[in-house]
Amino acid sequence: MKFLAKRVLSPALAGAFTAVLAAGSALANFTADERVIVLNSGEGTISIVDPVAMKEVKRIPVGKEPHHLMATPDNKSLIVANAASNDLVFLDPKSGEIVKRVDRISDPYQIGFSPDQKWFVSASNRLDRVDLYSAPELKLVKRFELPKVPSHIAFDAASRIAFITLQDSDELAAIDLAEHKVIWKMKLGKQPAGVWLTPDGKHLLVGMTGDNYVQVIDWKAAKSVKKLVTGAGAHNFLAMGDGRHVLLSNRVANTITVIDQQTLEVKESFAVPGGPDCMELTKDGKQLWVTSRWIRQVTVIDMATKKVVGKIPVGKSPHGIYFVSHAPRQ
Amino acid sequence: MEALTAAWAQLHGFVFEKLVEPLVFALGLSTYMEQAFDATEFVLVGAIEIALLWLVLSRLEKWKPVEVWADRRAVRPDMIYTFLQRLGVAPLVFFVILAPAVDGLDGWLRMHDIVPGKLEDWFPGLHENPFASFAVYVVILDFVAYWLHRAQHRFEWWWALHSLHHSQRVMTFWTDDRNHLLDDLVVDACFAAVALAIGVPPGQFALVVVATRVIESVSHVNARVGFGKLGEWLVVSPRYHRAHHAIGIGHEGAYRGCNFATLFPIWDHIFGTANTRGEFPATGIRDQLHGRDYGEGFWRQQALGFSRLAAALRPRKPTAAPVTTESLPR
Repeated sequence: MKFLAKRVLSPALAGAFTAVLAAGSALANFTADERVIVLNSGEGTISIVDPVAMKEVKRIPVGKEPHHLMATPDNKSLIVANAASNDLVFLDPKSGEIVKRVDRISDPYQIGFSPDQKWFVSASNRLDRVDLYSAPELKLVKRFELPKVPSHIAFDAASRIAFITLQDSDELAAIDLAEHKVIWKMKLGKQPAGVWLTPDGKHLLVGMTGDNYVQVIDWKAAKSVKKLVTGAGAHNFLAMGDGRHVLLSNRVANTITVIDQQTLEVKESFAVPGGPDCMELTKDGKQLWVTSRWIRQVTVIDMATKKVVGKIPVGKSPHGIYFVSHAPRQ
Repeated sequence: MEALTAAWAQLHGFVFEKLVEPLVFALGLSTYMEQAFDATEFVLVGAIEIALLWLVLSRLEKWKPVEVWADRRAVRPDMIYTFLQRLGVAPLVFFVILAPAVDGLDGWLRMHDIVPGKLEDWFPGLHENPFASFAVYVVILDFVAYWLHRAQHRFEWWWALHSLHHSQRVMTFWTDDRNHLLDDLVVDACFAAVALAIGVPPGQFALVVVATRVIESVSHVNARVGFGKLGEWLVVSPRYHRAHHAIGIGHEGAYRGCNFATLFPIWDHIFGTANTRGEFPATGIRDQLHGRDYGEGFWRQQALGFSRLAAALRPRKPTAAPVTTESLPR
């Protein structure tokens, strides 16, 4: 194609044609009329973004401090956790339209369904508690007082344990879901936030937001086995969908690190501006969409070149991000 | 408007990432990064607000002054209060003291099945209308401000602190923030409790304060400015508020003062405390005419405030003569 362009077209036109082709190759595969949903935690709105035009098309009030979101296990709804409104809002995952509101969920900061879909866990970052609900009816089963600052959640594959990072007491807590009790806590480094179970189920990776590394934990023995230096403000994880690699955002270093979960080694890091936080990767792995918390922007990275190919202005302190055509979660 | 928003996002992000984030990270306080981000904006808004107020109101004071003073040294402490309040103390009080205290109380209540209400419980439409929600918060908090202000004049111990604000005989737009620091803390704590009761998150409460304090600065300006009969039913004007600071008018009578409203004079009209004579009298407290010293410099003013408080709290021997408002210490 490039050869044809050079022969038939003038050099200037050929250059432009080649550039368009290059850009085209980076275009990710979104379905028609699909929208990207971004939570603007600092202003209580969601931005609805056209992923092809890379432009915000609508901004909708959703509640106070929406930080994180996730699809329901049947993928029919998207749940937005409004921490300061103390409620959950269910959206249409494709259009972002509000479908319903579930009230009286205390400070839902991070939320998660156990893999067997029997439990729904909500970590209250502000109120120092973790709530366990039976799913799907969201009936409160047990409240756990867990100071200080419960943050992110992970589950073991058997849905027996929920792991919660405690950001301000520098700990990791393990909750037995069936027994409804905290079975252990272990001391970690500074401000553990993101927590991630490797696909083999053996290790937990924990991002040390107050430091520059990921702590690798043998959770069955409740002991640390390795440190992976990634970047200052190691924070949140997202699977690359190949069953092997996981991405980690480093909020202070303004980088994203690729970690090989088989070798437990850092593979590479690349720059993303503005305090990168939550991420979403397209199904074809071509584009990484990242919320840049401190500059009111969603940054789009071409994963082939690791270059910024899109800067989309959104609301204040964008945090959670979601689109339907995302990469597999492992 | 879009360009302005983008420029603001750039400025806020730049200041935060270059100055604040590295400091917060180095101090091991990464858990509070979002609060630091909000506080940075609060300080930036304060700096721009001070610059704009100075540009506009200092000219207004030169153009239509109520009083002209050869010696303006007494204004300097008021400037210190303004800088402290809008650039330092207020963000500290909000984000370091009050927000965690309110969260702690909220968490305790919710752990004990006491769920504080929120306006949206009664008016669900407010969920999707943040502007209406904001307006309602402003009205409710102004109503609370009216009664807190009445209490500041009514209770001796509180007047011991609040009288500092009224002791300025060289009143300018800088006088708005001339408050004893303990007076500020007590008022802010009351506001924070109300904010919790009606579901205003601390971050949004700070926004209400920023949005309304411009009017409060204007109401203290040393200029012959009124808003007309109708206007002064709607918003507090410099003329309306001057009566509240007037010697022999603003701190006397059955209610120990008049024109207590902060933003909306309607509260004074409803509760019988409005003075609409429309004059521009001299400001200060009656006992200053008899030599009472409220201090010239910042530290002296703070120290004298504590001494007055101690005197007000000291038990007194019963007096034979009935206590009248005229005989009460002012």
